Amino acid sequence: MTKTLSWLFSLLAVATMGLLLGIFIWQSVPVWKHEGWSYLWEKKWYFRQHEFGVMSMVYGTLIVSIIALVLAVPVGWGAAVFTSEYLPRRVRMAVKILIELLAGVPGVIYGLLGILLLRDWVYDTFEAFEPLSGDTLLTAGILLAVMILPTVVTLSDDALRAIPSAQRLAARGLGLTRAETIFSVIIPQAARGLGASVLLALGRAMGETTAVFLVVGRQDNNLPDSWFSLRAWLDSGQTITSKLVSSETNIAYGDSIHWGAMVGLGLILLVMTGAATLVGTFFTRKPHA
Amino acid sequence: MRKFLDAVTALIAFACALLALALLGGLVYVIVQKGGPAISWGFFTEQIRLVGAAGGIFWNLIGTLILLLTAFLASAPIAIALALMERVWLKSETSRSILRTGLYAINGVPSIVFGIFGFIVLVQWCGWGKSWLAGGLILAMVILPTVTVALMERLKAIPAKYVEAAAGLGLSRSQIIWAVLLRQSWGGLITGSLLGLARAAGEVAPIMFTATIFAGAAMPHAIKESPVLSLPYHIFILAQDSFDPGVGSKLWGSALVLLGLVFSLSLAALPTRLRIHEEAHHG
Repeated sequence: MTKTLSWLFSLLAVATMGLLLGIFIWQSVPVWKHEGWSYLWEKKWYFRQHEFGVMSMVYGTLIVSIIALVLAVPVGWGAAVFTSEYLPRRVRMAVKILIELLAGVPGVIYGLLGILLLRDWVYDTFEAFEPLSGDTLLTAGILLAVMILPTVVTLSDDALRAIPSAQRLAARGLGLTRAETIFSVIIPQAARGLGASVLLALGRAMGETTAVFLVVGRQDNNLPDSWFSLRAWLDSGQTITSKLVSSETNIAYGDSIHWGAMVGLGLILLVMTGAATLVGTFFTRKPHA
Repeated sequence: MRKFLDAVTALIAFACALLALALLGGLVYVIVQKGGPAISWGFFTEQIRLVGAAGGIFWNLIGTLILLLTAFLASAPIAIALALMERVWLKSETSRSILRTGLYAINGVPSIVFGIFGFIVLVQWCGWGKSWLAGGLILAMVILPTVTVALMERLKAIPAKYVEAAAGLGLSRSQIIWAVLLRQSWGGLITGSLLGLARAAGEVAPIMFTATIFAGAAMPHAIKESPVLSLPYHIFILAQDSFDPGVGSKLWGSALVLLGLVFSLSLAALPTRLRIHEEAHHG
């Protein structure tokens, strides 16, 4: 009985996840038929004309995530080194609890703070580059950086603490300073875990919805000539998630091609976040365990 | 020179940690300072009036609690089943590891994807329209990996001698599960659920197409077309045009209440987690 119930509920979970994946593939078929590969490569989103290409949104998602990583990873690694290598165990637990509280702050509250504080700060600080508003890719990226910082700290701290204390003692015994121990003994061994923290944070950043929606500006078809243009960071943009959570989702249902284009965005997002998460999870495994 | 580099490293690491904590402190300070004045008894007991500019958030709070309770009740049996699969029923290490990887993969799925899934299946195909049950079920999917992994870890921490003693007494495998494994690990289920619900409480994306509206809903009496109000969606909508100062103070008050709810849920999960941690280090 217990065994049957376990199997039944587990299969229900597996079937639901299978259904989810199946639905996102199947419901996006119309747009693939309609646009072909240009759905992936082209920068055009005019739903009244039935022209759909996701490039500007993939660009937006990647740029805000990269900005977030560039800002959050160095600080996160630094903080993790401090909690894991400098703090006594009890204090370290207290700090980790506070960091996890920070991780639990809802996206909508970050979005609210972004609207109130960050938007104006970005607009004023970068006035020289004449941004049209404070709702920019950069604003979303900075906000995301704060949101993924706890993820980076917690995972990196775990990776550093996984190195046995005997190694630290041995290195100190050989006359290495604390910093030398960290850089030449601890970090090289924790490299996989530190890398995993970046990938898992990337997965979170790409999938974060509410906060990004509130500050990114939601400007369709905004793709600069060069992907490496820094000025473009000060323009409004659109990410995959900010598009999916907009009211366009309600409008699109019933028009199979438009709906297919929306669901297709979800599928692309699933592939992007899934790749980051799975590779990251693979990295956290120890090679011999 | 070596001493100097040593000091610089320590200083930089300290500054990074301080920055992370300062962000938390600053965030809480701003929310409390702006939201505090709006908090009063009436704020919790009255319903919204004038598009959020007056009144309180009674039904928003109730709606959020209904969604969380539904998510808890729906995710618990599935989480127990999955955790038992991993610890008891699955024989090969490969299939266990596939199950664990699958859970991590689900944990990485963006919540908006679950929201769209719920919109297609529950709202459209099942014809429920916006419904508290649809939102609760979708939130259950969001928190399922957290609950399951916490339960799995607790099951793993049960000493083997307990199981051996029970088996020696002649208990069958399902008797061992009910009398030993689940009885010893219910704390893991609660901890995991609290952590999951702390995350679910603030989510907008999974519920905005499936369960929640901004105004005009109270206690749901059916499944179909029975939306609820909710705290995060309330903040989400008001944040988009927060120019009216009256709305502003209510808006920050709602944010403070939501933050308080989320922090209480995470902190409530703390004692069990610390105990597990201690046992892992000394046991």
